[in-house]
Amino acid sequence: MRISFTNIIPLPLRDRLTQRSSDIWNTTLTLEQGEWVKIKAPSGTGKTTLIHIVYRLRQDYEGKIYFDDDAIDSMKDESIAGIRQQKMAIVFQDLRLFPQLSCRENIQLKRVMQDPVYAEPMIDTMAEALGVSHIMEQKAGICSYGEQQRVAIIRSLMQPFEWLVMDEPFSHLDQVNTAKAVQLITTECKKRNAGLLITDLEEDNHFTYTRQLQL
Amino acid sequence: MQLFNKLLKKLIRTGRGRRSFLMASIGLSIAMLLILAAVQIQENYHELLYSKSNQDSVANFLVLNKELTDRNLGATALERAEITGLRNQSFVESVGILTASRFKASIQSRSDRFPFFTDIAFESVPKEFLDVNSKEWKWEPGEFFVPIIAPNMFLDFYNFQFSFSQNLPQLTQEIVKMIGFTVNVYDAQGKATSFTGRVVGFSDRISSLLVPQEFMDWANGQFAQSGEAKPSRVIVRTKDPGNPELVQYLQQNGLTTDADKTRFSRYRQVVTIVVRIAWITGVVMFAFAMLVFTLFIQLTIASSKDDISLLIGLGTSPRQLQRFLMRQFFPANIWIICVALLAIGVLQYLLHGWLVPQHVFIKPIPSPVLLVAAVLVLLVIWLVNLVTIKNYTRQVI
Repeated sequence: MRISFTNIIPLPLRDRLTQRSSDIWNTTLTLEQGEWVKIKAPSGTGKTTLIHIVYRLRQDYEGKIYFDDDAIDSMKDESIAGIRQQKMAIVFQDLRLFPQLSCRENIQLKRVMQDPVYAEPMIDTMAEALGVSHIMEQKAGICSYGEQQRVAIIRSLMQPFEWLVMDEPFSHLDQVNTAKAVQLITTECKKRNAGLLITDLEEDNHFTYTRQLQL
Repeated sequence: MQLFNKLLKKLIRTGRGRRSFLMASIGLSIAMLLILAAVQIQENYHELLYSKSNQDSVANFLVLNKELTDRNLGATALERAEITGLRNQSFVESVGILTASRFKASIQSRSDRFPFFTDIAFESVPKEFLDVNSKEWKWEPGEFFVPIIAPNMFLDFYNFQFSFSQNLPQLTQEIVKMIGFTVNVYDAQGKATSFTGRVVGFSDRISSLLVPQEFMDWANGQFAQSGEAKPSRVIVRTKDPGNPELVQYLQQNGLTTDADKTRFSRYRQVVTIVVRIAWITGVVMFAFAMLVFTLFIQLTIASSKDDISLLIGLGTSPRQLQRFLMRQFFPANIWIICVALLAIGVLQYLLHGWLVPQHVFIKPIPSPVLLVAAVLVLLVIWLVNLVTIKNYTRQVI
């Protein structure tokens, strides 16, 4: 799935963003399937806003975004749900786990929301890889932020996708755990020949990016 | 899907407001019972009126005449306008005029062993109003033999009263049909013309001696002692002699008939009122139950608003969510309807058992129409649930 941006400007940031140049805002940009894209930006420049616009959680913007040839603002709720289940996985900055469900149930929910691509034991394999096996039966609400972040990453990898969209996914992980997560994500994206869209504050060399953009 | 639904169940708690749900369920059960009972009562009543086992051929034909009072003595003829008015009523299928003989007549035995003689009067009625089917029922001028139909009650009167008091033998219908006698018809001067007569059938419908219409028309023309006479009795064919409209019409026009035949009218009015009350109460309760259910669905969705919003955010399709919610709320309604149907079934069976000894026959099982009504009501509930769920989930999304 190709993602194209045409003069996108979020309305609440319009005044601020038109004052300066950006690789994404108010310009034309096309991200081809399979590209690994890093978006770097300081705080308050709209990283999370961009992720939410791409994932169509908000529609308060000018311009158009296309998935292949379809403008996402005119897509039906059912089609958007189909894309979220089959083509686009996400790790939110604020993680968005259900606090009342266990970590395993949070992951399971995403695994069985559509026809599962992995059998249940894959949850344990990934949890082992990221060092969170011991909290699988704990309620997500009482886990540390770092643990929740890793659970959110595993959840995103439980579904089929063409794009993995991540909003500061390693913000609460140490170097060792970040490396483990990077390795798992790399493996899963390569398996699917999927693209990667990741935002962060700083430059990094976690992945072999095909493109690095300044927001 | 099972696991997905299990997880959704953990997130969207339908347990909140259980009490109001229970109250609405009880209300809906009573409403269903009333609505379905109304349908079944209507069906039973319909069966009582029109089914073969209950239909009384006598009751479908009514002989009408003017009510005789002190004021209309000797003036009971029915005007043409009155007959036309009757014919135009929706509850009247057809009207036949009973023609009375306007000549003197007598019958007498031709046997010395069984002598009898009596003055007599005849009536005639169009053939389609007869309940006797006899090949001999015909006459044309010049014919010597006149067929006669006698009322069954005459024979009963003879067999069970007269024969005992006079020490005469009892007679079956077949024996009577074999007895030939002489029919004398007198003109204005008292001169008799004789025919042979024989009873060819017995009628439960009309309580007079009948001769073929052709004979009556001919004889009235030949022997009548007065001019053209207006009919004073008519026979009416009606689908439902218990129709309250018919009874009301008769009362308004000063007409009378065998009250026994129209007695159903009063029962029917009572049944109609009972059915109507059940309907109205049922429908009002149904509307309230639907309102409470709708509020309950709204409450459930509102109290899980954040979780539903996150579920959608993670990719749950609105349809998946709606299907899940329908599965939470709708099956209770199926149970309620099943219980109501079962209750009606039991009541119907008991009613059947209770009425049989009274010679009133209704089916021991409920009518198929009841099932159709239940499915229709279920469809309404399904639609209300679906529309509510769609509206409120859309608000959350």
